[in-house]
Parts: sequence; structure tokens; C-alpha cells
Amino acid sequence: MSDLTLGELDRDGALQEAVEQVSGETRAAFLGKAVVGGAALLGALAVPAAGEAAAASDVAILNYALTLEYLQSSFYTEAERLGAIRGELKRVPRQLGAVERAHVTALKQALGRAAVKRPAFNFRGVTEDNTKFLKTAVAFEDLGAAAYKAQAARIKSPALLAAAISIHSVEARHAAWMRFLAGVTPAAAAFDEGKPISEVRGIVASTHFVVARPKRKARKNPKYSG
Amino acid sequence: MTEIGKTREKRLVGAVALGLAASTAVVIALLISSRSTPSSYAVDEPPVLPASPEPALKVPSPVPLKSSAGVAQWASVRRAVSVRASASSKARFVTRLASATPEGTANIVLILRRAKDRAGRLWVRVRLPVLPNGSTGWVPRQALGVYGVVNTHLVVDLEGLTATLLREERPILRVPIGVGRPEWPTPKGEFYVRNMLTRYRSPFYGPLAFGTSARSSVLTDWPGGGFIGIHGTDAPELLPGRVSHGCIRLRNEDILQLGRLMPVGTPVTIR
Repeated sequence: MSDLTLGELDRDGALQEAVEQVSGETRAAFLGKAVVGGAALLGALAVPAAGEAAAASDVAILNYALTLEYLQSSFYTEAERLGAIRGELKRVPRQLGAVERAHVTALKQALGRAAVKRPAFNFRGVTEDNTKFLKTAVAFEDLGAAAYKAQAARIKSPALLAAAISIHSVEARHAAWMRFLAGVTPAAAAFDEGKPISEVRGIVASTHFVVARPKRKARKNPKYSG
Repeated sequence: MTEIGKTREKRLVGAVALGLAASTAVVIALLISSRSTPSSYAVDEPPVLPASPEPALKVPSPVPLKSSAGVAQWASVRRAVSVRASASSKARFVTRLASATPEGTANIVLILRRAKDRAGRLWVRVRLPVLPNGSTGWVPRQALGVYGVVNTHLVVDLEGLTATLLREERPILRVPIGVGRPEWPTPKGEFYVRNMLTRYRSPFYGPLAFGTSARSSVLTDWPGGGFIGIHGTDAPELLPGRVSHGCIRLRNEDILQLGRLMPVGTPVTIR
């Protein structure tokens, strides 16, 4: 896989702007750092090559979708919990969060024990600031719609394809709504392009939102006062 | 009119109606016939499309957040940071927060509120694991990492010698406890659970120990800083009682149950 940069992928720059605001990096510095190689950190964002067993391929695609739904649902859920998003955006975390959680529930039920676990996320303040929240929402919804679209042709099961399409159109509606709120043309092109998995993985990794889970347990002898 | 006359009139009306119906049918048939054009398929053979597949997933209705009753939020400390008395880098220095605890777990803090400074930077007010007990301070959001949520709360009653675990503000567990002797009192105030230790080799602490943000104000030179733990015991016959150096002791079966019910980050009220 060739290296990718966010600048090549995030055409509207919505995600890149969000990351710039979050990280404080300049555009040039950010694009330089956002190079993603073949060994990306998101193991769940991997799909078997074409030609492998249909069932295994579809399970991998489902897990790929589930990982993106984890990202979206965690983002909106945290924003709703914190209650820092105000004004005309106040209802967005509640409404979109409820839908993204429904997607997570459905995908987890379909995958059963094969479902990947929810990663840990550090949203770096974008859930606590109206401007950063909206830019990130635009980027996430655009990304979700593009990711589903790119996988549609690879799905072997017609029943699974029907399900994926039913989620994809909802992601596209969310994207249009968030774009409208952000003052961006909801549908700028006559035809949407999908984003292949390598691009999606690169974009997600460049946000640094996916992090190691904080260690909260240990096997060390206590030194409490007793 | 005679009965014969009435019968003849009815027959006449019936004949006229029948004639009209028949001619209408002929006209309609002619109209249909005249509109028919040669086509690739017959009217009684519509194109056959395969049935749409049933979606593999049944997407449920939107899932609202669970109750917000008794919800508290914590954050991990991502990098060592200076804590300030207000939401400004120029405000009075309070203490220094490390990214890890002495036990090697992530250092976590309880989130209390947030504010922006003049430059638009986000700051978070947090409860601190330092003396004096009950200290709070402000840290930049960028120094914090993952946010977590709990819906549990532990209430320690020093008079009644009980610990009660609440979930969504409702009690789900109440157990007898041992607390500090008069010379080593268990501190009162608002604290939180910082970490959980298991599988260590120290029967004195029982099978499981929680670390809290509370600290003994007497045993300040205790190894590790005199943090107050909530742990099991190898002397259950002393419970309930005022028997410890400040820690909260539970019978081993009770601490194991608490370990299953109480996540790290849970607020602790000692009163």
C-alpha cells in the first residue's frame, strides 16, 4: 500500500481543519505528519483481499463498519454527556447519537462473538466546542457515507448489501444536515466517490482520536495506609 | 293504470337498460382495442423482477442515552501538567499532576466543570488526589486524555461503619466496614476511586484493593504517600470497627463483590 496523506484525501478539508484546531499544528506540519504507512494502528480497519471466502470477507466488512460506527457513536455520546454543545447544535448530539448507537447495536447483534471491541477515544476537546464539534461532525458523516459506498461492491451477501445500503443512506442524510449547518453545500457533486479502506484508515489515524485504553488495574502490591 | 299495464312498463324499462349496458360494453371494448399497440410483451405478462432481499440486519429504533442520574465523568491525565487555581496559565500554581499513579496505573481525575480562557483554550476543573483533601484545580483540556463515565457512587458512613454503593442514585450494596482508629482517622470529604489492584501477594489487603484520591493527613510519610485504600482483610473478625490506619476495610467476600460492581472513577463520599 502506498503512503497517503490527509491532504490528498480530505478534499473539503473539514477533518484536517478540525485536527488543526485540535492539535494546534499548522496545515503544513499536519500534512507532513499525517502520512500513514501500511501498518496502521487500527487493526479492525482491515478487510480481506478479494477472492477470500465470502463469509469471512463480509464479516470483516461488518467489523470495519462497526469500528466507524463506534467512532461516530462515541463522539456524539460524549458530546451529549458533557452538555457543552449549545445553540442550534444542541440537539445534534442527542439525535445523531441515538441513530449511531442503533447502528452499533445492529452490527454487534449481526456479528455476535466476531464483533470487534469498542476502541478508546480521546476526542481532544472537539466534543466541548461548537465550532470544532460541527467541523468534526461534517468530516465523520462524509467519511461514513464514503466508507460504506466503497465497500458496497465488495459485499457478497445480497441481504448484507441491503442492510449496508439502508445505513449508508442515513449517513448521507446526516452528512447533508451537518454540511447545511456548517454552511457547506450539502451535495456539491453529481456523483459521490467512495473512500477505500486505506484512505479511511489514514484519515482516522491522523486525527489521533483512537488511543490506548488507560490502564486502570494493576497487579502491584498496595502501599495504601492500611 | 292496470296491473297488466304496470308489468308491460317494467319490462320496457328493463329492456332499455339491458340495451344500454350492452352497447356500453361494446364501446369500451372498441376503445381498448383501438389503444392497443403492438408491444414486446402481452398485458397479462408483466416484466418479472427478482424479489428484494430482506436486509441482513434489523436496525433498531434510535437508542437514547441511558438515565443521567448519578452520572460522573473522569479523565485520564495524558501528560504531566501543572494545575492552576483558575482557568489560565498565569493563575496560581496548585500542584503538579503526573500521568501515572505510584501503582503504575493511569492517573485519573474527576471532572467538575469546564471553561475557556481569553485565548479560547479549553480548561477543565478537576478533583485532585493531593493534600489538603478536597483540593480542586484547573488543567488544560489538552493535558487530559480519554474521558470515562460512571453511574455509581460509594458512600462511606464513619458513624454507622457501613459502605453503601449507589447505582443511578439507588443503593445496590451495603456492607460493614472497618475504618481508621481515632489516632489515624479516615478523612471525610469528596473523593474518587483511582485504580484497582488484584493478584498481589499481601494477605493484609485481602484479594482486591481500590486506591482512592483520599490521603491520610496524619500518615503523610507512609510509603506511597499515605493514600487511603478500600480493600479486603486477613482479620475479618475485627469488622465492623475502628481498626485501621485510615483505610476502609471490607470482608473479603464483600470487597470481591464491590470489585464486580464498582468501576474505577466512581466518586466516593466519606462522611
